[in-house]
Parts: sequence; C-alpha cells; structure tokens
Amino acid sequence: MSTFVDDFPAEAKVVRSSMYNAFVALAIGALMGILQTLYRTDVFHFISAEQYYTVLTAHGVFMVISFTIWFLVGVFAWAVISSLDRGVEDLRFTWAWFGFMTVGTLLAAIAIFGGFMSDPPEVLGSELSADVLFTFYAPLEAHPFFYIGLVLFVVGTWLAGADWFRSYLAWRSENPGERIPLPTFMVLTTMIMWYIATLGVATSILVFLLPWSLGLVDTVNPTLTRTLFWFFGHPVVYFWLMPAYLLWYTLLPKLAGGRLFSDPLARVVFVLFLLLSTPVGIHHQYLDPGIAEGFKFIAMTNTMFLLLPSLLTAFTVVASIEHGARQRGGEGRLGWLKALPWKDPVFTGMIFAGLMFAAGGFSGMVNAGMNINYLVHNTLWVPGHFHLTVGTAVALTFMAASYWFIPQLTGKQLVGRSIALVQVVLWFVGMVFMTNAMHRTGMLGVPRRTAEPWYDGFEYAGNVAEHNFQIALGGTILTLSILLFFVVILLTLLRGSKGGVEGSSIPEPLSGPDHSPAVIDNLKLWAGIAIVLVIMAYTLPLASIVERGGLFGPDGMRSFPSGNPGFLEYTSLFVQMVIQNATEVIFR
Amino acid sequence: MQIHNYEKMWLVAALVLIVAIIATITYGTVGLGIAMVDDTEDTVDPGALEEEDGFDDPGVTQVGENEYDVHVIAYQFGYDPGDEVNGEIQIPEDSEVNFYVTSRDVIHSFSLVGTNVNTMVVPGEVAAITAEFDEPERYGIICNEYCGPQHHDMEGIVAVVPEEDFHLFTLEDVEAPDEVELGDDATFDVTVSSDHYDERTTTATFEAENETTGEEVEVEEELTFDGHDTAETTFTVDTDDFGTGDFDWTVTVEDEIESGSVAVLEELEEDE
Ligand code: HEM
Ligand SMILES: [Cu+2]
Ligand SMILES: [Cu+2]
Repeated sequence: MSTFVDDFPAEAKVVRSSMYNAFVALAIGALMGILQTLYRTDVFHFISAEQYYTVLTAHGVFMVISFTIWFLVGVFAWAVISSLDRGVEDLRFTWAWFGFMTVGTLLAAIAIFGGFMSDPPEVLGSELSADVLFTFYAPLEAHPFFYIGLVLFVVGTWLAGADWFRSYLAWRSENPGERIPLPTFMVLTTMIMWYIATLGVATSILVFLLPWSLGLVDTVNPTLTRTLFWFFGHPVVYFWLMPAYLLWYTLLPKLAGGRLFSDPLARVVFVLFLLLSTPVGIHHQYLDPGIAEGFKFIAMTNTMFLLLPSLLTAFTVVASIEHGARQRGGEGRLGWLKALPWKDPVFTGMIFAGLMFAAGGFSGMVNAGMNINYLVHNTLWVPGHFHLTVGTAVALTFMAASYWFIPQLTGKQLVGRSIALVQVVLWFVGMVFMTNAMHRTGMLGVPRRTAEPWYDGFEYAGNVAEHNFQIALGGTILTLSILLFFVVILLTLLRGSKGGVEGSSIPEPLSGPDHSPAVIDNLKLWAGIAIVLVIMAYTLPLASIVERGGLFGPDGMRSFPSGNPGFLEYTSLFVQMVIQNATEVIFR
Repeated sequence: MQIHNYEKMWLVAALVLIVAIIATITYGTVGLGIAMVDDTEDTVDPGALEEEDGFDDPGVTQVGENEYDVHVIAYQFGYDPGDEVNGEIQIPEDSEVNFYVTSRDVIHSFSLVGTNVNTMVVPGEVAAITAEFDEPERYGIICNEYCGPQHHDMEGIVAVVPEEDFHLFTLEDVEAPDEVELGDDATFDVTVSSDHYDERTTTATFEAENETTGEEVEVEEELTFDGHDTAETTFTVDTDDFGTGDFDWTVTVEDEIESGSVAVLEELEEDE
C-alpha cells in the first residue's frame, strides 16, 4: 500500500503547502489567543486595551478564516484526488487558487497588523488598520486591503471548488453510471453549500463595504451588511465542520480498526447540511431591531432541524467505532471501549474532539433557543460555545489528523507519537477549563469581545475572579498544547525517517452506496432545492431591510473611523457620480 | 434505501427531541409572551436624532400608572441617559418599563447585566424592549458588542428606586440676574417640567441669603402640572431688604437644585 505522496507527488505538494499555511495561521492565532486571554482575565497585560481589539481581530480571522479554511482545502484536495484516484486536471490551475488564497491572506494580514502601529500610515487614502473583528460590522470601517484580501481569499476557494468539480466531471465521463465515491460526494455537496453561502459575504463586500471603504459611496445600511454577513456566517461554521466530519466518517473508522457503518446515511447527512446550513443565518440576529419576529422564528425552526444531521452523525460514528473495536476483539456492553487504539494520537484526538462537540451541541441548542438567547447573546457564553465546536471539534480534529496527514504527504514517519498523545489530551483538558468557565461567566452577564470586562458602577453577582483564573489556566494549557503540536510537526519534518508509512486507502463501508437510491447522488437536484430554500428564507427579510433602511442606509449614517479623503477620492469622483446617478434612476 | 433498525430508532428520537425543543420555544413566545425585539418601531435618522420623537429629549417619561417609556441614545462610548456624563436612569419600583434605544454612530448593545434585557442597538433602527422591575436595585448597563477602541468603557446604570424617592420633575431653567441696583427687585423666573402622565403638584422652594447682613428669605410655591407639562413661576427679592453686597440664592424642586449669586450695587454701571 502506498502513501498519498507516492501516488500523487505533485498534488501532495499543494496539499502539504495548504496545511503549512494553516499551521502558520494557527501559530499566529494561538499567540493572539493567549495574549487576549491573559488580558481580559486581568492576569497580565502584554498589550494595551486598544490593541486588544487588533489582537482579537487577528485571533478571529487567523483562526476561523485562515487556519480552518487552509486546512480544509488541503483535506478536500486530498479527499477528491485519493477517492477518485486521479490527479488534478491542470496543476497550474491548482496553484492558481492557492495563489489567490495566499495573496488574500497576506493583504488582510497587512491591514490587520497595521492596527498595531501607534500611528498607522495612510495607504490608498485611508489609515492602514482593520480593528473590525472577523465580523466587520459596518459602520465600523476597515482599510480596503482587508476587504480586498477577504474577497481574493474567497475567490481562491471558489476556484478550488471548480478544480474539484473539474476532477469529478472528468472522472464521471470515464465512469458513467458509477456512484460518486463518498469523500468526493462530501466535498462536492459542501462546496455547493459554500458557493451559495459566500454569495452573501461577496455581495456585502463587493457591492457595499469595499466601495464604501474606497470612498465611492458615502453610507451603508448596517442591518443589510450584517444580514448578508450572517447569510454567510452560519453556513461557514458548517464549512469548518465538514472536513472534520469527512475525517470522522472516513479516517476514524479505519483507525478504530473497522469501517464506516453506513455509506447511505453519511450521504443523507451531507445533503441535509447542504439544504439547511444557509437558511438559518438570522438566528445570529435574534436580538437585532428591524427584523420581524416571524423571520426569526423561521430561522429558529430551521436551525433546530439542522440538529438532525449532527445527531445522525453521532450515531454513525459511534456505531462505526464500536464495530472497529469488536473487530479488534473488544467485547461487552461498554467493554469494547477498551479495545480501541487509545495510544494513537490521531484516534484519541478525534474522539476527544467529537466528545467536545457533543457538549458544544448542547450549548448551541441554548443559543438557538430564540427567547433564551436574550440571556446569553454576546456574553462570554458564546465564545465558550464555539471553542467547543470550531475551537475543538474542528481544530483538534485537524491537529490530530495532521499526525496522519503529514506522513502521508511527506512519506516521513511521525516523530514524537507520545508527545502528540499528550498534546491532544492537553487540548481537551485546557478546553474543559476554559470553556466551562466561559459559559459560567457568560451566565453572569460578562460580555465577550471586551478588553476590560470590569466596571465602575456595579459588580457581577458571582465569583468572576475564580472563573477568570480557570479561563487563564485553560488558555495557558492550550498554548502549551499548541507548542507541543509544533514540536511534533517540526520533529517529523526535520527528523522523520522516510518509508514505512501505512497506506492511505480507506476501507469500504459496511453498508455500501448501492444501499441508497441513486437520486442521492443527484447534485443538481440538491443544489436546486438548497437555492429555493435560501430564496424562501431570505427574500422577504432582505426586501424588508432594504425598504426600511435603504439600500445604502440613511443619509445620517457616518463611517468609523472616517478615513481622510485621499487621492483615490479624486480619481473616484467620476465613478461616484455615475453610481449615484445610476442608483437614483434605478431606485427612485 | 436500507436503514438499520437502531438507526431508525435514533432518527425518531432525534426528531422527537427537535420537535420538543421547538414546542418549548413556541410556548415561551406565545404562552409566556417573551417577544423578540423586532421591526415594529419606525426607523430614525442617526444623523438627526434631535429631530426624532422621544430622542429629541431622551430620558424617562411616565405613560401610564405604573408604566414608563425610556428613550436612550447609545454612542461611542456611553449612554444618554445612563452613563456618568448624562446621569443614571431612574425608575420607580413595581413598574413596567419600555426601553427605546438607538445609536447615533455604530452598532452597540444595551444590556442590563444579569437580566434578560439585552438587545443590539443599530444606527437607524430603534430597539424596543419591555421589562418589569419589582424591588429597588441598581442594574449595570453594558455594551456587549464591540464598537471601537474604548468599547470596554461603555457603561451606565438603571436605578430602580423606592416609590417615595421617585419623581419626574425637572428643574429646566432659572433665569436670574447677575447684578441689580439697590432698590430694584431681583426677579427669578423658574421653569419646571413634569414627565408624569397625570395631574401632579410639586413645590418649588426659593431661598436667598446675604451672608454679610445675615438677611434671608425663603419662599415656597406650589406648581401644578396637567400631564406632560411645564410650569413657570417667578420669585422676587426686594433688594432694599437685603442691602448692598452679594447674596446667594438656591431654587429647589424635589432633589433638583440650582443656585447662584447676585450682586446688589449702589448704582449699576452702564456698559455698552
Ligand atoms: C490557544 C488557544 C486559544 C485561546 C487561549 C483562545 C482564547 C480566546 C478568548 C479568551 C476569546 C474571547 C475574547 C473576547 O471575546 O474578548 C476568544 C475568541 C475567539 N476565538 Fe479563541 N482561543 C484559542 C483557540 C481558538 C481556536 C483554535 C479557534 C478556532 C479555530 C478560536 C476561535 C475564536 C473566535 C472565532 C473568537 C471570537 C473572536 C471575536 O469575537 O471576534 N480560538 N478566543
Ligand atoms: Cu449560526
Ligand atoms: Cu461597545
């Protein structure tokens, strides 16, 4: 059995490079993470209160845009290439999307890190900074580089998706009538979801925020850009999660010593995610004025049904693992647990990630409970929730999977297996401390996204200091865990001996694809239904938001910080006139 | 499609769970009447809030026997009223309060710590949220949405005060002279407003004292308001009684005080 790099050396290089980029983002994100943790728990202030928000922007963007999505493109490229068993159609195209994503990341990084300067320079007519957090709610305004960077990054992912569809179509013409291999099926359904979802953020940036930050239009409608953000912002959480699910469905059963329980159910799950991920974004806006309660209610019910594919996943994954354990000789009601390969950091890391996800699912149900949301919205409860989900279910799965991928992608054996095992356990422990205390302080009303959540006028009704200690302790353990992760990765890259790496093939599921009707593989059908659902969920809310606040917002809306008019202002005067006249003609 | 029996049971259980959660939330909304912040309020122009009803004069207004409207403007980085600069929001115990909150700049929140009064505040929109307050207590208002570099300094207070300490009379203005000629009357025009919804009376007290002569006066005037209303009254000091030199005065309405001093001169200098 051969490794991925033996079979596809050129492609392995792209996958490897994507993952290295993810690791760089993870390192930066983790550094920011510990800085802000120590600051807001009042343990140590390495930064100023104003810089806190630059740090937080960097933490958010590098963790959940760069780290997760760079790793995702690596996993997806591997999944498509290995499951179709064919190289990419055109390697230059593959490197092109890689290039787009890289340039996009760099531009956004330059804008964000500009914020660390005490007096950021003027570039293109506005101050080089982007202290807007990863949600960039207008009328807080970032430097144009930030928005351009995000657009290039997203375009890169679109092209990556095109690359995989191209591979699929080429495979299809040579294999008419065959079922789509499961990993490819997962990638394609996820990418369709992604294309639909990113339309929201692309519209928000290209039509409103970028022209506004360049001074081409004067105002924006904050509810509109916010709604378009969350149109993308909820499905993006499933975008982070799907590569983890893909690994839980494919790699995990194999590591447990068995095979996936049910291929058909796995397909159903991914179809459900495609259909339900997008028409729910308004659940992030339960407490927004200007949006009717009815729309919020619809988003709430859709969200609850979105629990279904995750609950089904829990079943299939556990069943597959149990099957694996019994193949390895495990016996008894729970005794089979002992037969599992707990010493394997890849396996153990993923299992811990899955356990944490179950906990995250419960706090997620609370968030999603429309009227309960009043109690937790924007409190530290929410970061508590998503460090369980994206911060552990996704991030820990990715780190654990890296111990499997790096050997596959370099041909080198993993060095420091026991350090790796300690690393994944530390992550679990650190997160238990940090997220538990975050949830609890959140219940006391301690706000998220706040450098100094202590106030002159009142005291919280609880022992915040003790919880803060746990948050700081958890954060420190997590930082240690990240350091160990890099030790293992670097040792492997520098010292790993070539050869002897187990092959990357994934065993056939117990219940194969022929047990599901062929219609499940009809991607066009699912894409069509998904689009119809999105149109149904968003047409009326968007129309009402535009009717209330205007397409470009009320006249009295200003920008913050309102950058000095630069030379671009003059060059853009003409364009501005044209746009204004055009909007006048169209919308009056 | 082949579905294992255990899978089927799990599927059914999952669906039951989902439907049960939705039913609970629906009960909370319909049965308990926990309404969501929504689109029932008209939009406002964030650049011209001084022209918007309620936000032209933000603060507390009584609208029913135990019911109060509170208009609040959130801004970078405070609340008007609520914060230290603009003064805390006071409401009486056992009252129902409708908060109307908007922003004149970026997105903020208006969140009473430890309660479920928590809403986003979006420029151009008005967040309306109703809460009931029983016991006297001080609630912290905080902004839990990042709104700029001093976001963490954004705080205020909603003080629920005992019925007897509560009033909505405002001493709007006292028009007083700086100096008067001996023998002339010094007049003090006092304007008081009431934000109570019904007919109310309060007392305006005028005190003046010449510290050198020890001469002093104290006058009380009953003011009557018919709902949201202003009342005016004039206090007069006969300077012959006080003699020359400075005298200090104060006007008191409930716990609101305004004060100053007047110079009584032999002869007024003609400037201009
Ligand atoms: C070293 C490990 C980590 C530490 C110590 C850490 C710590 C924190 C803390 C304390 C906050 C709350 C800050 C605030 O709201 O004021 C936060 C926010 C956040 N974290 Fe982490 N975190 C870590 C890892 C991660 C990972 C792995 C991810 C995702 C892959 C992640 C994603 C986020 C996001 C999206 C936010 C919210 C940013 C925002 O509100 O704009 N974090 N983190
Ligand atoms: Cu969501
Ligand atoms: Cu704020």
